[in-house]
Amino acid sequence: MNKDIINLKVPRKPDYISLVRLTTSGIAYSMGLNVDEIDDIKVSIGEACINSLMLNNEDELSLEFEIEEEKLCIRVTGVKEDIPEDLDERKERELGLLIIKSLMDEVIFNKYGIEMIKYIEVEDQ
Amino acid sequence: MSLNIEIRFDEKENIWVFLPEGEIDIYTSPKVKEEILNCFNSKQTDILIDGERLKYIDSTGLGALISILKKLKEADNKIYLSNIKPNIRKIFDITELDKLFIIRGEEDE
Repeated sequence: MNKDIINLKVPRKPDYISLVRLTTSGIAYSMGLNVDEIDDIKVSIGEACINSLMLNNEDELSLEFEIEEEKLCIRVTGVKEDIPEDLDERKERELGLLIIKSLMDEVIFNKYGIEMIKYIEVEDQ
Repeated sequence: MSLNIEIRFDEKENIWVFLPEGEIDIYTSPKVKEEILNCFNSKQTDILIDGERLKYIDSTGLGALISILKKLKEADNKIYLSNIKPNIRKIFDITELDKLFIIRGEEDE
């Protein structure tokens, strides 16, 4: 089974999140996903990046795209499911996680961050 | 990664009208909040955000809208949204913020 990996590292700055969204849209488009699916992925990756950026102090945002025939798996480091109680933007961050969980087919949190999967529906011939 | 906001005051309806063009995201949200609240502070009326040219909003943008809503509520003013694109409407739906904001042109107005 073919599996291609694309790695992306960007400085941990808000300025670069739109670049990540654009790159992600490009990858999803090249995989043949439809406009709505591309948008779901773009919105989710944006939220994952914001979460990582706000809840971490790492210098870089690190992303991995694992491309398979039937799915796209995106990993973003530093994304946390547990939002600190004392965070001013706690409500906002919770909305971000809610959006990701609603738009992606599978969402897994681990010690590195988040893993988000979108399955590609193969059209009946 | 850009956002422009066209601002006008509708004298006839006595309402501020904002037409954001582009993306309200982590980079542009603070500017949106500041510009809208500056206008509101200079003249306290209801406000309308026309989403015709708005392509994208993230959770920081939603946060900005929520804090604008809180500010307006304190002064007993309302915030209306109109011409929201389906992809953005979906985000309001998921987060249930469609219950908090008055979305014009829909049955719940």
